[in-house]
Formats: sequence, structure tokens, C-alpha cells
Amino acid sequence: MIEDILINGAMTSGTLALLALGFTLIYGVAEVVNMSHGALYMVGAYLFFVFTTIFPIDLLLAFVLAVVLTGILGAIIYRLAIHPVVDDLLASLVITVGVTIIIQELTIISFGSYRKPVPSFAQGFLTLAGVKVPNATFLAFVVSLILFGGLWIFLAKVKIGKAMRAVAQDHEVAMLMGINTERLYMLTMGISATLAALAGVLITASTTRLAYPHMWDTPLYLSFSIVILGGLGSVKGTLVGALIIGYAEEIFVTLSTLYLPGGGFLKGVVAMAIMMTVLLLRPKGLFGKRIEMEE
Amino acid sequence: MVATYLRRAYTSFLAHVVDIPPRLLALLLFLILLVFPVTNPKFSFMLLLSLANLSAIFSASWDLQVGRTGLMSLGHALFFGIGGYGAAMLIVFWGFPAWAAIASSALIGALVALAIGYPCLRVKGPYLSLVTMALPLIATGVVFYFKDVTGGERGLFGFPRLFPFLPYAQQFLAEYYFTLLLLFACGIALYKTANSGTGIVFISILDDEVASKACGINTTRYKLTSFSISAFFATLAGAVWVHLLSAANISLLTLTTSFLPIIATIWGGIGTIYGPIAAAYILQIVDRYVLNEVFPIETHWHMIIFLVVVIIVIIFWGRGLARFVTDKLDDLTEERNLDERGPHIWKKYKKKKA
Repeated sequence: MIEDILINGAMTSGTLALLALGFTLIYGVAEVVNMSHGALYMVGAYLFFVFTTIFPIDLLLAFVLAVVLTGILGAIIYRLAIHPVVDDLLASLVITVGVTIIIQELTIISFGSYRKPVPSFAQGFLTLAGVKVPNATFLAFVVSLILFGGLWIFLAKVKIGKAMRAVAQDHEVAMLMGINTERLYMLTMGISATLAALAGVLITASTTRLAYPHMWDTPLYLSFSIVILGGLGSVKGTLVGALIIGYAEEIFVTLSTLYLPGGGFLKGVVAMAIMMTVLLLRPKGLFGKRIEMEE
Repeated sequence: MVATYLRRAYTSFLAHVVDIPPRLLALLLFLILLVFPVTNPKFSFMLLLSLANLSAIFSASWDLQVGRTGLMSLGHALFFGIGGYGAAMLIVFWGFPAWAAIASSALIGALVALAIGYPCLRVKGPYLSLVTMALPLIATGVVFYFKDVTGGERGLFGFPRLFPFLPYAQQFLAEYYFTLLLLFACGIALYKTANSGTGIVFISILDDEVASKACGINTTRYKLTSFSISAFFATLAGAVWVHLLSAANISLLTLTTSFLPIIATIWGGIGTIYGPIAAAYILQIVDRYVLNEVFPIETHWHMIIFLVVVIIVIIFWGRGLARFVTDKLDDLTEERNLDERGPHIWKKYKKKKA
């Protein structure tokens, strides 16, 4: 049972980290609490469904198209709805929640409220230390690790990444140094939406394999409980938050199958309870700083 | 003796209601709504207006909390749902009469608000919005978990209407008058609260919490007061709502329900209390009558249209549609700058300078 918790917890944490990465990136750079993150996750899953079932094309191409199109959609949402109120946290928060509901209703209009099947990349299981792990989950875990490493290198070495860190530290001085902050915000939002879509396709394929119009809520509140837990805008905090929430969920699920039948519905309650406890003790989260590079 | 009192009451009525144009307007609207059913006593229309009354109470309660105190909550549906499920469960499982169920679930709502407000109100600004938004989601999980008590996905239904002793044809009319009187009472209570001494403290918290604290105001206590008064009225509205629809289901707790008061408040003007009431009326009538029967559009487009309007209004006229108009009218007589226009709930949490 201990191995179960260890391995499955690692897998859950990895996928949760993937989910929260985009959310923390856009907050860290532009200080926008992007509540449409869950909706973009859903758009990713739905586009993947469209390109595999309605207009069937190659699986990998469908994946790339879904992710890229969601990224473009994210940039458009930023330009139209968030950009005019970008220096106002509450207004952008309310507006992005509105965008989420709009996307949800548009999804119901175009696809109906029934569940749609999302194909998986990988079938079957593989055995890690005696624990059976679905290949799709393992794939999501590996992609998450690669993306974390990639983002780390991107922020540390690439010119645009350095510009992002500069803007996060002080956007006025960054502007004086010749960085086009508006375009950078838009790019960040695009990257964030891309990450959301990636998470949408990979996580949906590894868990329910279904896309439905209310699927945005669980990822949204999981990602913001992780991000608040770790401190808004901190990449290291996101990783730690994902580990805490992932393992807590896994322990809760494992125990609830033994002692509390049907406890799966209370999984979200556990995440939220942890988040609230941390907020009460440390109102800025565990690593509440601006986006930073820990040397 | 009696004549003196009557005359005094009459002059006081003239001075406090008839001489003040907005109040006179409100009174006239109330009177129109009072005689309206005589002209068109269709069941569907009565039900629509009763729902409009309740959503007006719901919106005004959100406005007291957000427009007057600055506690930006995105999860007001929690209290609506507590009211709905509370009343339904009290009736179905304990056999309460409808009136007792409504009253006690409203009290339960206020107590729950005290209990969750104490930890939640320690966090501020966007964090508070995120935490409150999560609460209905938690409640949804809890509802699904206790399937036997709450009915799970199907919800609870099959409880008696509010006036079971009346013949069927008159029930909708009776419910309409009941909700209208409830709206009148709650509207006055909320308006009075917002303009009382306590209400002024609420506004000082909205303007500058640190400065209010420095003046010796126990801000936590006042924020809790605002939160639980608002919750009380929202719960009341939710409890009556399930009686009108004879069903309590999970749609009471969705994010869309949380957004009803937000849409109404942003249309009607933030922090006015009467604005959201009017806007909730317009919203319900547009939603269920104009876009259903006059210009029929598919239901899901309604929400999209409303939300697009809300987003445009937030971007361009941060103080709401109606307030924008009244501000412009005031500017005709005397030019003022933005700060003189009273509390402003946006622009408070600006980006911090490094």
C-alpha cells in the first residue's frame, strides 16, 4: 500500500503540476489571475476530440493543432478581455470568470451537453516497483517533467524568458530597457493557454477520456489551490504545492477506499481544506514571492 | 388624538418618500407591480415575476457585501444553495411547515456565513474571491457525497407549495404577492442597513481598510456582519426559490448562479442596492420573456449576451451601466473628477510597484 501511495502520488503530483504551471506563469509575469485556465483546458480537450473524431487526422498532428489553436485563443482572450484591465486584479478576475462561462455555454451550443470520447495516446499498463501505472498517466507525468525542465531553461537562458523575468520583477523598468511588455504579456498568455491545452489533452486521456462542458471546474480549482498553496507566481511553490496536494489526494483516496466508500467526491474538499489552512497560517502561500529563479 | 398621529405620519411620508424623486419612483414601481397581475394574470408570467423578485433580493444582498463593503465574493451561490437545500431537507426529512423551513434555513445561512467567514475573511482581495469561489464547488462535492440525504444528481423534489390551501389557479398569484412583499421588506432592510451607521463603517472598510483600523474600528467584526447579513438574505431568496420551482437540485450551486447577482449589479450600478434590484428585474424579464417569446433565441445564448455586456461594461465603465449614466447627468451640472464619485470597487488592488 505504501508503494501504491508513493508511485500513484508521484504520478498525480506530476499531472497536477502540469495543470498549475500555466496558471502560475501568467500570474507571475502579468499578475493576472486567469480564471479561464480551466476553460482553456476544456478547449484543448474538445479541439483534440474534433480533430480525432469529427475531422479525423493523424493523432500527433491533431494533438499539435489542438494545443497551438488553444494557445492562439488564449492570446486573443488576453488581447480582447484582459488587456484593457490588466493593471486591475479584481476586474480581470471577474472578467476571466465571465469568459469561462461564455466558453462553457459556447461548448454546449456547439457540441451539446453530452460526454464526448477523447482518444488516448497510449493503451495498456506498465509496472513500476510492483505498482500498475497506466501508460497514459505515465506519459502525462513524463511530459510534465520535461515541461518543467524546459520552462526552467527557457526562463534562465532564452532571451524572451529573461525578458519575462525582468517584466515580473519590475515592469516599468523593463519597459525602459526596451522590452515590449504588452506583447510579452500576450505571448505569456499564449504559452499559458498552450500549457493548459497540453494538460487538457494529456490528463483527460489518462483519466476519464471524456470531454464535457463542465469539465473545467475540477482542474480550475485544483490549479488555484495548488498555486495559492505554493504562493501565487512562484514556480518552485507550484511544484511543492502540486506535491502536497497530489500526495494528500492519493492518501485520501487510498484510505477512503478502505474506510469511506464513495469518498472520491470529497477529493476536492481535501485540496481546498489544505489550501485554506495554509492561507490562514501564511496568507501569501508557502513561497509567496514574484516569479523567481532559485539559483 | 388619532388624527394627529395620522397627520404626522402623512407629513412624514410626504417628506421622506414623495419629496425625494428616486424613492417616489421606487414607490410608484412597487404600486405598479402591486396592481400588475390584474391586467395579465397568466401563470407563467406570475412565476417569472416571482422569480424576478427573488433574484432581486439575491442581487441586492450581493451588492451590500461587494459594493458597500468590498468583499469581492464569487461564490454567493453557496448561500443560495444552502437556502434551497436547507429548506428542502427540513421539509422532506423533518416535516417542517414551509414557513418554518424558510425562516430556519435563512438563520442557518447566516450562521454558516459566520462560521466560514471567520477564517475566510482573513484573506483579502483576489485571494478572498478565489476562496469564496471554491466554496460552492466544495458544497457540490458534499451534496454528491451525501446522496441519500440530498438526492445527488436528481435533487430533492415533491414538497408542497407555499399556499397549499388555495385553489390551484390562485397559488401563483399568492406566491407573486408574497415574493413582492418579501422583496419590498428585504429591499428596505438592505437599503436601511447600507445607509445606517453600520453601513457607513462598511463604506470606510471599502475605501481604506487600514485607515479604518487605525480609527479604532474592529474591521473583522464589521466584515463578518456584512458577510452574514448578505448571506441571510441570499439564503432567504434561495429557500423561497426552491418552493416556487418545487425542486432543489445542483444548479443552485453552479458558477452561473453566482454570476446572476454579478451581472445584475454591474448593469444596475455597484453599491446602490436599488440598482441591482431594478437590473435583476430587467434581466429576468429579458431572459425569460423577451428572448423566449418576443425574439426567441436559444437559451444558452442569453448568458453569453449578458456576459459580453458585463465584460464590456467592466472594461469601459467600471462603476456599472446605470451609475455611468447618472454620473454623466451629474457632470452636466458640475464637472467632477473620478475620486469625487464615491467608492469604487475596482482599481483597489493595483499591481504593486516593486
